[in-house]
Parts: sequence; structure tokens; C-alpha cells
Amino acid sequence: MAGSKQWAVPLRNIAILLLIWEVVGRLDLIADGALPGISEILIGLWNDRSDYPLHVWETLKASGLGFVIGNLLGVVAGVFFVLIPMSLRVFRGLNIAIFALPPIAIAPILSLTLSGLTPRVVLAALGCYFVTMTATVIGLSQSDSRAADLIRVYGGGNWLIMRMVQFRSALPSILSGLRVAAPNAVLGAILAEFGGGGRWGLGAYLLGSLGRAEPERLWGIGVVATLIAGLAYGVFALMSHRFVGASRAVTMNMSVPEKAGDGSSSPVSSLLAGAMAVLLPFLFWWAFIRLLEVPAMISKTPIGVVEYLFFSPAAQSAQERLIAALWETLPITGVGLVCGLSFAFALAISSRLFPGFLRAFMPVALVTQTMPLVALTPLLVLLLGRGTSLTLWVTISVTFFPAFVILAQGISMVPRATRELAMAYGASAWQELRIITVPASMPYLFAATRLTVPRALLGVMIAEWLATGKGLGNLLNQSRGYMDYGMIWTVAALSVILAVVFYQLVVVVERRVLQRMGMSTAE
Amino acid sequence: MPAGGITFHGVCKTFSGRGKTIEALRDFTLSCPSGSFTAIIGPSGCGKSTAMRVALGLEGADKGAVLIEDREPLDATRAGLTGVAFQDAALLPWRSVRENVEVPLEVLKKKVRDFAPDVQHLIELVGLKGYENALPGELSGGMRQRVAIARALVTRPRVLFMDEPFGALDQILRRQMNFELQRIWQESQATAFLVTHGIDEAVFLADRIAVMSANPGRLAVVIDVPFERPRKPELFSDPAFHALCDKVAEVLHGGQ
Repeated sequence: MAGSKQWAVPLRNIAILLLIWEVVGRLDLIADGALPGISEILIGLWNDRSDYPLHVWETLKASGLGFVIGNLLGVVAGVFFVLIPMSLRVFRGLNIAIFALPPIAIAPILSLTLSGLTPRVVLAALGCYFVTMTATVIGLSQSDSRAADLIRVYGGGNWLIMRMVQFRSALPSILSGLRVAAPNAVLGAILAEFGGGGRWGLGAYLLGSLGRAEPERLWGIGVVATLIAGLAYGVFALMSHRFVGASRAVTMNMSVPEKAGDGSSSPVSSLLAGAMAVLLPFLFWWAFIRLLEVPAMISKTPIGVVEYLFFSPAAQSAQERLIAALWETLPITGVGLVCGLSFAFALAISSRLFPGFLRAFMPVALVTQTMPLVALTPLLVLLLGRGTSLTLWVTISVTFFPAFVILAQGISMVPRATRELAMAYGASAWQELRIITVPASMPYLFAATRLTVPRALLGVMIAEWLATGKGLGNLLNQSRGYMDYGMIWTVAALSVILAVVFYQLVVVVERRVLQRMGMSTAE
Repeated sequence: MPAGGITFHGVCKTFSGRGKTIEALRDFTLSCPSGSFTAIIGPSGCGKSTAMRVALGLEGADKGAVLIEDREPLDATRAGLTGVAFQDAALLPWRSVRENVEVPLEVLKKKVRDFAPDVQHLIELVGLKGYENALPGELSGGMRQRVAIARALVTRPRVLFMDEPFGALDQILRRQMNFELQRIWQESQATAFLVTHGIDEAVFLADRIAVMSANPGRLAVVIDVPFERPRKPELFSDPAFHALCDKVAEVLHGGQ
């Protein structure tokens, strides 16, 4: 009984939402018909039915291949990092760069240096790698250390522990990584189709349909892209649900996890690891170009970019354009991020007071997680026009939902006994929030910030590229048109570096604050 | 002198954490004769578990040595001479009772099939007949602990290490398990080394109780337990039993 009721409420809410959508759309109430009714979107889909199969097939091919490659790399890398803890530090810079890089910034680079399906596969794989690698490392290192001791006591080594204990117990974590990676692969493929040209693929279709006054088609493409990503998410969600049952630890493991190399390594070697962490991304960049043997005119090594930006004849103009673009991009990224996070925080906190709201809203928030945000932007253009408010709303919407999901789930993990303690002394709901829920949710607020910083930059750049014609996103798009290769590489490198620096800033503040509060970071 | 059993000889072990060093064991010397039952008791953080971890080769000693059946710890564990039961059952949740008991055999690369009657016998010995294919999640706390005991015995160890094997159980169940452990141990004839917090548990089970004190962790005194075996549950209410418990408590709290 209770089970069926749990399903019924969100279903009812979604049905009501769809009904309102249909009525509003049919009556053209929003932005002169920019929001078509659901039936209109479906009719549009039916009319374009001959276009879809090829586009969908191209996107599926690229994202599927990228998904397989990216996840394989992610799992292998995760196992490697756990077996050799030092390597995690050496690769830290590269891992953060891969996590934080705005895919739209490197899409043009990939299509310059690689050909055919490869750029799409690479971008899809990049979207999967980090998620799965992290899930693997967390899953493996959180496995029961007592069970590992047991194997060691009978003379088993690291490899046997990996095989008999860690890998199996990490499986649920890895599967939930795959669940998140699946929509990422679709997003990566679509972004590469966007930035790379080419005739087929949903991204190309979307790009081709942008200029036309056919909201139904844009919505149709958005719906199809979301469906693909959502289905992929659902398949892995189901698989991980099945697995979790048997491997949830029977008792709590109370021992403190060993920190990799904490205090055990000499200052020299840890300095070396730090230097390697910074250098490695640039080494990869350099090796990438050397190995591909792309003409030097098209591809720029790190040194090439420095030369272009400071010593070439075009250096002065390049610097001016870059600084102007930064001034347009950075403030709006900050504002959008802060707005998105604050909305999410306020809503997640207050959902504590109104639990019914959380149950109704959570499914909607989860659906948006799988929505490829590049498909969302044209729809927002339809609704909001091409001004600054568009950029702001894109940024807010790409940061708000993931932040809300993390925060709401984090807050729901605050132990009931802690809350009841306050209640037992007659605390009001507000007092309980102030004394317990808000401080307890700090680790999740930081985790949400870490996650959404790169997304905010990506959102702004997509909006600039597609709609507003300002900032870094636009500079990238323009340089593509002018074949200004130096600028393409510069913008790409700069946006990756910016994302990494912002991320690292959040990490530093997070460590300071949480250490003072005596808490540990949330994953 | 080759004596078998377990001998700790002048074992020192220090841990360095954030700016602090903790002397977990200082000059720890103790010998447990072959076939004897030694309980080791002391306040939290006195190095009882560390002593056991060093003996199992999970930690190296800074100074001194441990011999198990006259061999180096790692040597002895790899030869399958030791059995171990941890503070918490530490069962692999995705393996059935039988498969959990078989874990040490797999690690020691033995043919699991050859041991099938042994495994079955052990499962019956710890009173889990009929639960061979149950998953740990389906068992009660006491049953899980008994799986861990069966697992510790599956290699027919010469030396059996136990780190508070019943720490998570309630008092009633604990006494019941103590009684059963005595029976199982007598049948196995192994040298037993029990780390515990419970004074009555130590007095009921052991031939000798090694009392430790903390900061630095060191051996305070060894108390002999004279009661006849097999000891019966009635012993728990014997005045002599209580007198000995009081004596152990006095040493523990007096910090002698």
C-alpha cells in the first residue's frame, strides 16, 4: 500500500504539470507561443519523423562509443590510483582539469585536430571518465577495511584484496557512477556536434534549426535528447538498485580511512608530486599535439599560446579582446552561481519544514539532471530573448538543480536523533534549522559549490556562444569563423585554467571552514 | 627455546599522528604456551589490539620480535597456522555463510572442495546448521559472530587470535557465546589469544590473564586462573569467580 502511494504522488504532480503546460502552450500565453503545448510538440515530432533516425543514430553512436571508452578508462584509472596512492596526487591536476573543463571550449579544438566521429567520442568519453574514476576510487577505498585485514592475515596481497573484497564492494558505487556518466556522454557528444560542424547528429540538427521560427522543433529535439539521456540514466539506476541490496555493509565500519601518504612521505617527494600535478595537464596537451602531428599553424602547444598572447604581432589586440571578453563572462558567472546556489540552499533547507514539497519536487529535479543543457539553451532563448537575463537564467538553471539534489540529499542524512534532541528541549522548527540543520548541511553546500562552479562557466559560455554574442563563448565562436587558431587555443586553455582555479579556490575554503567546524568533506 | 604457541619478546611500537606520537607498546614480553588460553585485558588504547596486529604481521614491530609456533608472523600466517576473528564479524555481505567461512581457504589457495566436510562440520559446530546459504544480512548479530568464529577455525589453526569477538553482543548472548567458545576451542586444541574488555569473559575463558596499562601500553601483570575445565555457566555465579574478577578489576583500576 505504502509503496504504491509513494509512486502515486509524484505521478499525480507530473500529470498536473503536464496539463498546465498543455493549456498554457495551446493558448500561446508565454512569449508569443515560444512554449508550444505538449500535443503540438508531439505533432512536430511526428512531422519531422523522417529526420530523426539518422540524427539520433549519429548521436547514439558517438555517445555510446565514448561511454564505453571513457568508463573503461575511468575504472582502470580508479583501480590504479587505489593500488598506488601516490599516483592520485600526481594525477590530481589532470583529473581536476578533466572534471572542470567546459566541454564547449575544447570542442572546437578537438574538431580542428581530430576528424570524423573522433571529436564527439572524445568529448563524450571525457564526460564519463571523471565521474566513473571518482566513483571507483571512492567505492574501492570505502570498502570494509576489516575484510581487507582478514585477507591480509591469511597472507593475501593488495591484488587479492582488490579482487576478493574491494572490487565487488565498489560495484554499487561504480554503477551509480555509470548512471551519472550516461547523460554526460550524451551531452558531450551533442556539444561536440555543436562545436564541430558536420551534418548529422542531434547537435547539428539543433544548430540547423536555431534560426528558424519553429519552437516545436527545438522543443522536439530537446525532448528526444532528454529521453535518450534519461533512458541511459534509468537503465543504470535500475542495475545499481539491484546490486546494492547484497553488498551494503551489515555493520558500520568505524575505523578511520587511511589518508593516502599522510605524513608517511618525505616533504621532497610530496613537493615533487605537487609539481607533477601542475605540470601533467600541460604535458598531456603538448603530447596530444606532438602525437597527432597536426600542422603547427592550426595547433598550438602551451608555448605556442604564450607566444601568441604575448610576443606575436597580434598580441596586443588579442589581449584586449580577451580581457574584454573576460569582463563580460566572469561577473555573470559569479552572479549566476551565487543565485543558483542560494536558491538551492534556501529551497533545500525549507523543504525540511515542508517534507511534502520535497517529495513532490525531487523527481522533477532529478529529471533535469539528465537534461542535456545545450538543448535547454535554445528553449530559454525562445522564452527570454537574447539579452543578459538569458545568460543569467541559463546559469541559474544549470547550477540550481544539481545543487538542490546534493543539498536535499545531504540534509536528509542528518541523523534523526540529532534533530529530535533539539525538539526534545522544545525547539521550534526555526531554532532546529538554525542550530542543527544549517550547520550540518555545510559539507554538502561546499560539495554542491565544487560541483557547480565548472557548470556555471559552461552554462555562461554556451549561452554566449548560442545567443548573446558576448564574452568568452562568443570570442571562441567568432575565432572559429575567422580561423584565428591562436585565439581558439587561448580561450580554450584560459577557460580550462579558470575552471580549475575556481574549483581549487572552493576546495581551499572548504578545507579551512570544515576543519574549523570539525567536519569532513562530503563526496 | 622452541616452545610453540605465541611469544612476544620486547616488542615496541610507536604510531605518529598529526604532531603526536603514541607509544602503543613498550617492551612487551609475554609467552603463551602451546594449547593454552590467554586473555589480554586493559583500558582503551593500551595497545591490546596492536599486540595482536603485530603478531599477525598486519603491523611491523619497531623493536623486538614475535614468534608464532617458532616462526615469523608473516611466515606463520601464510602457512595457514593462524586463525583470526575480529572485533566485528567483518563478513563479506555478498557471500553466503558457507562462502564466508571458505574465504581463508581461498586466500591460502587451497582447494575449497576438499574442505567441504570440514566447513560443514564447523557450521554445525557453531550451531548454524540450516543457514549455510543465508546471507549475513539475514542473520542476527550473534549468528554473524559465530560465522566469524567458524571462519577463524576453518584452516584448523594452531593459533587462534580473537579481538573482542563478542564486543557487539549483549551480556546474555555474550555469556552464551563464551560458553560455546570454550567448547569449540577445547575441541580444536589450538593456542588461543583473546583481546577483550570484559573482565568476566576473560576470567571465564582464560588460563591466564595478561593485564595491560596504557600510556605507554605495557604489560602490568599476569594473573593465573585456576578453575577446572570444562567450566560450566554456573561458574558465573561462583564466589571464587567473583573474587578473581575483583582482583583483575583492582589491578586494572589501581593502574599498578
